Amino acid sequence: MTVALAWRILTYDKGRTALALVGIFMAILLVFIQLGLFFAVPQGGMLLYDNMRFDLLLVSNQYEYQAQPGAFPLSRLAAVRGSPDVAEATPLYFGVAKWKGGVGGVWPDLFVIGFDPASDVFTPDSIDRQRGVLARADTILVDTTTRPMFGPLDTGRVVEIGDRDQTIGGRYVLGTGFMGLGVALASDSNFARLFPRRGLSEANIGAIRLKPGVDPEHAAADLRKLTGPGTQLFTRARLTARETSYWTTRTSVGLIFGSGLLISIVVGIMVVYQIVSTQVSRQLPQFATLKAIGYADGALAVTVAAMSLMIAVAGFAPALAAALWLYREIREKTLLPVTMSASHVAAVLMAALAMAAVSALLAVGGLRRADPADVF
Amino acid sequence: MATAFFSLAGRAGWRPVPLAWRSLTANKRRLLRSSAGIGFAVLLMLMQLGFEKAFFDAALEVLRGLDGDIFLQSAHKYQFATQDPFPASILATAKTVPGVASARPLYADWFDLFWKSPFDGKSYLVRGLAFDPDEPVLLFPEVEAQRARLKTPGTVLVDRRARRFLGMDQPAAQAELNGTKVAVVGSFALGPDFMSDGTVVMSDRTFADVLHGAAGSPPGVEAGVIKLAAGADRGAVLAALKKSLPAGIAVMTKDQLIAFERAFQADVSSAGPIFAIGTIVGFVVGILISYQIIFTEVSDQLPQYATLKAIGYPNVYLLRVVLEQAALNGIAGWVPAWLLSLGLYRLIGRIALLPMRLSLGIALLSLGLTLGMCLISAAIAVGRVIRADPAAVF
Repeated sequence: MTVALAWRILTYDKGRTALALVGIFMAILLVFIQLGLFFAVPQGGMLLYDNMRFDLLLVSNQYEYQAQPGAFPLSRLAAVRGSPDVAEATPLYFGVAKWKGGVGGVWPDLFVIGFDPASDVFTPDSIDRQRGVLARADTILVDTTTRPMFGPLDTGRVVEIGDRDQTIGGRYVLGTGFMGLGVALASDSNFARLFPRRGLSEANIGAIRLKPGVDPEHAAADLRKLTGPGTQLFTRARLTARETSYWTTRTSVGLIFGSGLLISIVVGIMVVYQIVSTQVSRQLPQFATLKAIGYADGALAVTVAAMSLMIAVAGFAPALAAALWLYREIREKTLLPVTMSASHVAAVLMAALAMAAVSALLAVGGLRRADPADVF
Repeated sequence: MATAFFSLAGRAGWRPVPLAWRSLTANKRRLLRSSAGIGFAVLLMLMQLGFEKAFFDAALEVLRGLDGDIFLQSAHKYQFATQDPFPASILATAKTVPGVASARPLYADWFDLFWKSPFDGKSYLVRGLAFDPDEPVLLFPEVEAQRARLKTPGTVLVDRRARRFLGMDQPAAQAELNGTKVAVVGSFALGPDFMSDGTVVMSDRTFADVLHGAAGSPPGVEAGVIKLAAGADRGAVLAALKKSLPAGIAVMTKDQLIAFERAFQADVSSAGPIFAIGTIVGFVVGILISYQIIFTEVSDQLPQYATLKAIGYPNVYLLRVVLEQAALNGIAGWVPAWLLSLGLYRLIGRIALLPMRLSLGIALLSLGLTLGMCLISAAIAVGRVIRADPAAVF
């Protein structure tokens, strides 16, 4: 009865219900946006790792986050190779050099990743297919999301990078994340030519792949004895936790989108509450009548709660659709990996239901005051 | 608006009954509810506007702190915070241009300076700014006051508002920059931006010493800071500098330098659109909430409005009362939201180390948006009053 009554009230005043839906729709959409951005930032920081094959990552103990990793002697990685647990250990080198061919004469900074092109450490197909290209002297592959200020990224274009002319051998799809405005892949020997002072004696990260069936946690404990002081060894899970906490706690990201999330939830509560409480006050004589003929406060409260929940659920689906569209827009505009996951959907649905519940709770107060004797 | 209305009403010969005010305050509970509803929508807009401004301000803080009229930097720079130094001889040439009183070097580095925290012993990349202590180029009063101390080689000033993990906010006498021991002789408040977590200010000599390992050769000048002689015409000096300096040097006024950096940030960061979405959502939700409120108020007072109509008040009068009431509702929501955001700005500014400033611009913009959303919703709701038929209501 109570749920049916809620339905009747909502469908009786269609205009008002439509308004309620728009309101909750906007609020849920905003929750989606804030949540999406909140998670996109650490995901942007994880972009390189998410596109690499490894079970354990060897880094310096000065490691801050991916783009500020510190460096460790290559011998540390070599020591690991001898272990029976290890299938492969690949060093990666990071450097930043001037791209002396930007639009309008600017020299944007290029983030260069050096690696052995014989290694299949990167997962993207576009890199795998073009590894042979990197074996050519002074040839690089550029990331497709390198900013327009770098000028055309056509294959065959020759650009001075640092102090050397480099040929663009092709483009690959990975994403620039927070590495910089432009990212390029180079063979390790080419990297050494681009950064002559730096050389290849120190690597920035070491991607370690274990033999099938080896437990990463156990292997990490064993390998730590081999890598020695000055280094750290992360499992994927530890690395993810670390990068995420870096971006959410050490930068302002967490606070900006976290507070946005909180305020959008409160705004959602306010808008549902306004609408439901208006409904309650409009229907007060009817509610009072119901009370007079013996319905308990509880039953009426359930009606109000049902109204709120129906509005929230009905507003959720279009908000999800709009969020999917907006995520794509934000992805294209900001290059941030704003993606929808099942857990986001579930979390926002929970938030929407919570918003509805709280606003119902607030609105029920008005109902309790409905005194049959007073209303008429 | 209210006063304008009262005087209008007075001129038209009506007794200025503050009708809108009376209906606003008639039901205290409803007033509380409506200002909470509108207030949170306003708060959302205020926070998003504040974040957007803070994002840009953080990137511009150092540029605003440069003490000069005209600036020189490499024409290859796409943003200020990138290494592209030029030789000191450029400044010598600039000094010979008529109208130039001084041309001083600012040394800066964003990529090679590692600050070893005296507390956790870890090294972090920091931004370094350096100048000749006898030729200051920074406007920050605290740096200026402690400038003389930098004359001792191996001394630095650190940023108290740097990110906490750098440990610059706690007193420490010694630290390390690139493995070289440095004495911390004072601090200033600047804050991080989206590139640097913290800043160290030092003399040109100390700068060269700590970078010696990384660069190998004496550092070049990152920016030339030029002051005009008294009475010199800025436009003329700007043109003369462009003529006498090589094409690889960009000559800019301070406003142009700030506009250059702002344009870069707007181009790459998308902070503008991201926070604009939040502001727009706040605005639309605000319209919905305020429509609910004004609609309920109008409905409840329909008999009163009908009565006014019956005794001869024209629709224009009723329209004005409703709009005014909506505006008052808006202000009743805006004021607490503004007060609350004053506190929130301070809190978030302190925790997130963002330059959150509730500027007059943001205050006026949010007030305008608030009044806009209330008036739009009132305009929609007022139809009911216009259609109110005195004969039908009773």
